[in-house]
Amino acid sequence: MAKLWAIVKREYLERVRTRWFIFATVFGPIFFGAMIIIPAVMAKRSKSTVEFSNTRILDATTTGLGHRVADAMNRGRAAGALAPQVVVLKTDAISQAESTATRQVMKKQLSGYLIVDEGTLRGEEVRYAGRNATSLGDMERVRSSVKEAVLAQRLEQAGIDSSRVRDMTFIPLKLNPERITDKGRGGSGTVSIIFAGAIAFLLYMTIVLYGQNVLRGVLEEKTTRVAEVVVSSVQPETLLAGKILGVGAVGLTQQILWVITTVLMFKLRKPILAKFGVSTMPFALPEISIGLALLLLLFFLLGFVFYSSLYAAVGASVNSEQEAQQAAQPMLILLVATAIFINPILINPTSTLSTVMSLLPFSAPIIMPLRLALGSVPWYELVISLVGVLLACWGATWLAARIYRVGLLMYGKRPTLREMARWVSYAR
Amino acid sequence: MTDFTIEIDNVVKRYAEHVAVRDLSLRVPRGAVYGLLGPNGAGKTTTIRMILNIIAPDSGTIRILGHPAQDPTITDRIGYLPEERGLYRKMQVRRVLRFLAELKGMKARDADKRIDMWLERFDLKTDEKDWGAAKIDELSRGMQQKVQFIGTLLHDPDLVILDEPFSGLDPINAQALKDTIIDLKQRGKTIIFSTHVMDNAERICDSVCIIARGEKVLDGPINEIRESHGSRNVALALGGAPTTAVSTVLADRSLVSRVDDSNRYFEVEMADGADPQALLHRIVDTGATVSRFEIVRPSLHQIFLERVGAKGVEMGISGHG
Repeated sequence: MAKLWAIVKREYLERVRTRWFIFATVFGPIFFGAMIIIPAVMAKRSKSTVEFSNTRILDATTTGLGHRVADAMNRGRAAGALAPQVVVLKTDAISQAESTATRQVMKKQLSGYLIVDEGTLRGEEVRYAGRNATSLGDMERVRSSVKEAVLAQRLEQAGIDSSRVRDMTFIPLKLNPERITDKGRGGSGTVSIIFAGAIAFLLYMTIVLYGQNVLRGVLEEKTTRVAEVVVSSVQPETLLAGKILGVGAVGLTQQILWVITTVLMFKLRKPILAKFGVSTMPFALPEISIGLALLLLLFFLLGFVFYSSLYAAVGASVNSEQEAQQAAQPMLILLVATAIFINPILINPTSTLSTVMSLLPFSAPIIMPLRLALGSVPWYELVISLVGVLLACWGATWLAARIYRVGLLMYGKRPTLREMARWVSYAR
Repeated sequence: MTDFTIEIDNVVKRYAEHVAVRDLSLRVPRGAVYGLLGPNGAGKTTTIRMILNIIAPDSGTIRILGHPAQDPTITDRIGYLPEERGLYRKMQVRRVLRFLAELKGMKARDADKRIDMWLERFDLKTDEKDWGAAKIDELSRGMQQKVQFIGTLLHDPDLVILDEPFSGLDPINAQALKDTIIDLKQRGKTIIFSTHVMDNAERICDSVCIIARGEKVLDGPINEIRESHGSRNVALALGGAPTTAVSTVLADRSLVSRVDDSNRYFEVEMADGADPQALLHRIVDTGATVSRFEIVRPSLHQIFLERVGAKGVEMGISGHG
């Protein structure tokens, strides 16, 4: 046991000390954080919180439409907020005023300008140019303000009292969208889908990255012949177990650090987001029960042991990185095949595809956690899935240990499948 | 307590394509420097791996220090230097050594003291520079080999197994290794080393076992082996380059049965019933200057060639271990 511990310790410490690990562990949460903050900032940009005082309205009508638009744009905003400046001018002076305004926008003296003319009055066209032309929220606000102003103008022409017109046209309607999915309605649906997708993706990434890490570790020991020294001190099975445990612990450490920092960032999201000028977050972190957390952990461990022991067997049976890449393809195909189905299953978690993938031992370690995160899974399916993965793990480690034992000390050409089958049959 | 560090009885190891070791029996006396000699592919490495319990024999028994080779406590008393050497490249020297010691059941704290002692002994830790803090791949090849020796000996093993220890060593490291072997022997340790370089074996070993094609050819103390191969050999050295006349004499099969020609030095095996004095006369008659003419016991090299033969050597080249 002390020797197994020595191996686990070495595998763990040597990996945790690498620059790559530190980099990935620190930048992972920053990356996740950016994934949360950037959409929020984008959302903010598309909300009409921008000051319109820097917007110039060039009014070529003689009806005072420009002032109405400015009034409409500023309506519903905090008292004291400056309204857009209005310049009333003749139609033939527009092009000159436009080029002046363009220069001012380029110099950031203005954020944009709006041209209202006869066409606008007819309800046909209004032109806007400015830095915020891509902001959907700003443009929507400009459009509705102009629409409101034109409507007011028409109502007054129809003989309605101007003070009533102002009240009648002010409709600060807010749309509250809500999504309906297979599971029914509720904004929380989006959150749990993101959450489940994130879990599946994280499991997939960790298994692929650290599975290949096991392969490279085994290959390094084989090519540098350290393996020979080590297996003269401990059984090859101990070395294999120590390697898988050590590398698995590294993956787990990274995941836990990521989860902790992500949760912390979520808890502190208000001050962080405030720095970016965003006041609220569109969603909250889902609650995870201890039971679910333990199940997720169990599936990760089993999935990791399954794939990494196969990766170890590959590492022991080849002699170079190139050979390893070829020989590791079957595992990668299984993993990628699983990853491809993450999206369809997220969209339709009650489908037969979802059920089958969560029961097949090779995909269950990724798909079953996804289903668990999305909602309840019948207990018998959970049991079948777990038993299947356990059996697969047992088979994979048994097979891997035998291939590993022989392959580790076998140099030269890459073995054929038949030769590897014979290795398995060697007693020792 | 037995007098033998290693007792191998009737051991057989077969692979799918060939028999690596067939019916091998040998005894390694306690405290001996023992040479396992044979051409490439003779079964040396397979034998060593079975002694180390890395692989198990198909039949036969192996006992190490009085215990079965499978006894897990026994590995902690063995130090092993494999033929192909290498260490974790990205790891710090001190950490590698600590890891190797821990694999032999040592506590990290005890290991650290000995690591410093050994690093100093092999000049890897001096007042100016402590290579123990460097990574393996920052070391020169010679230094890496020293680190590997240290790793082999750190846990003070009772049995040290060195597989082709001199291959790839520069003369300074080779001397350091020889000194270490002698030192270990004086401290009562048993050392086994495999080699196909007979000169090394002849100088260092107390006893040898020659194996070829997986079979033991002969074994025993070096002196006895050489004695039993008679004194029908002549060491001949010439003052100048050999003339054709000398070559003709040496090619006379009624006089000489075999010559190991090293240009100016010859090891001559006399033909049956031939008189060494006759040979000396014939050579002097050619006008050559004889700087040495001595009746000697055959060298290990001669015995090896005689017993294993060129055929055995060639057979082995294609194999491994």
